Amino acid sequence: MQPITLKGRKIVEGHCKAEALVSTKPISFLGGVDPADGKIIERDHDLYGACIKDKVLCFPHGHGSTVGSYVLYSLAKKNCAPKAIINQTADPVVVVGAIIANIPMIDQIEIKKITTGDIAEVDAHKGIIKIWKEKGAKQACI
Amino acid sequence: MHLTKEEERIYDGEFCWANQVCMKILVRLGELFKAKKLIPISSSHVSGVSYKTLGDAPTEFLEALAKANAKVKVKSTLNPQSLDCNFLCKRLPSDLYEKQMNVLNCFEKMGFTSSLTCTPYYLEKPKKDVHLAWAESSAVVYANSVLGAWTNREGGPSALAAAIIGKTPDYGMHQAENRQPKVLVKLEKPLLDDVEFGALGIFLGKILKDEIPIIQGLEKASKDNLKQLGAALATAGMTNMFYHKLPRIKTEKIEKISVQTSDLKRTIEKLTTTSTKTPDLIFVGCPHCSLNEIRQIAKLIGSRKIRKETEFWVCTSRHIKEKAIKHVKKIERNGGHVLTDTCAVVTWTEKLGIKTIMTNSAKTAHYVPTLNKAQTILAPLKECIKKACEG
Repeated sequence: MQPITLKGRKIVEGHCKAEALVSTKPISFLGGVDPADGKIIERDHDLYGACIKDKVLCFPHGHGSTVGSYVLYSLAKKNCAPKAIINQTADPVVVVGAIIANIPMIDQIEIKKITTGDIAEVDAHKGIIKIWKEKGAKQACI
Repeated sequence: MHLTKEEERIYDGEFCWANQVCMKILVRLGELFKAKKLIPISSSHVSGVSYKTLGDAPTEFLEALAKANAKVKVKSTLNPQSLDCNFLCKRLPSDLYEKQMNVLNCFEKMGFTSSLTCTPYYLEKPKKDVHLAWAESSAVVYANSVLGAWTNREGGPSALAAAIIGKTPDYGMHQAENRQPKVLVKLEKPLLDDVEFGALGIFLGKILKDEIPIIQGLEKASKDNLKQLGAALATAGMTNMFYHKLPRIKTEKIEKISVQTSDLKRTIEKLTTTSTKTPDLIFVGCPHCSLNEIRQIAKLIGSRKIRKETEFWVCTSRHIKEKAIKHVKKIERNGGHVLTDTCAVVTWTEKLGIKTIMTNSAKTAHYVPTLNKAQTILAPLKECIKKACEG
């Protein structure tokens, strides 16, 4: 099967291939994600209960607390961070978190084109993400 | 991005490791957001001071910077920590106190002022049009919107990096063209109380993303109410600024949004998560109280006593507590607790057996279910105090 290629802007370099976890809602890492295990804990979030560990985490943008950068750093140190972060619009809080946690990150991607359960190959150096549409692999981590 | 010779030397590691790490954070941010240069800042304010929200790994990052002799270049203040040294530290396990003091020592070693407040502008008001590197999203919105200073919403580590370097990349809110309003917000009815200001912030934050609104009908709003609005706006979105007075621009062509009273009512109802009417804790002071708010609280309590069944916390900075000492004494005589250096959200209320928190802050109501594992009741200040005194 031919992958779909999406081109965005490099934020933090790196390469990975993993399952996509996609949200239509912004994420606040402080208060929104449990730093102990990477589970989404914000009530009413469309990913409530899902785990971001080892996923290619796609969401529109960050919001809320500026401590969110440190939460990403903690997650990385506990091996609970996402493999990569894909945003529509990057904000400084998530960007700085990805920089100090060394999580590959791309923004300016139309994330609607990605579905939870797709296999995503991220080449952050080139700002490219390749998507393989997988059937039946949805929300494997919930 | 253009770097001066000295900046390049820092970037290349000719000075200490800490300076190099900080410079790299700033340069990467700057390049990403197309800054042409670094600009000097008047002050920095960092978030990520509470050990509860930081945890161990970021603490190690701070320890490494402090050990490598990082020193602040400009006036740099700190957000609240996870406990105070008079009231909460006696009720929480001593190892948490020690871990918090370790975090604080790292910051003090780097030359930070132990302001321990989310309202650094009450300690020293930034001048209009100065450039700042502030984290603490509520203070960012207040600085841009009410004080007329210029700051991006820094992440905790980038505000820290800016403090050590004394500069910030020149992008975003530091450039006049990015401070232009994009949306005109009309209110169906004037806002009634503090909770409606907060609810408007949450409602707008969710729909605006990062667009700057002009909000009509706020000409007579108090600074305390604008503080509530800004804190909630930053909680729910990426917006760093709002206009509360009509700027001198043509508004015919910009997008218009009208906010109905029912939108605010729904937002307030959603932020209350329980039907119980008996909170374990009533908390005001998110963001930290101003002198005027403490005066108002003392006045509202009047001669009544706080009921023994509930705790009543008023959180503020040491600076304001000292200035408001007459009112503080009255609140404390009547059974309330005026805490400094911390707040309910960044301490371990669950370890004190607190399961329901009543507050007048929409920001607190948003965070309490996850950060405090408690239910929330959002109600105006007057109702919070009535509940504290009369049940």
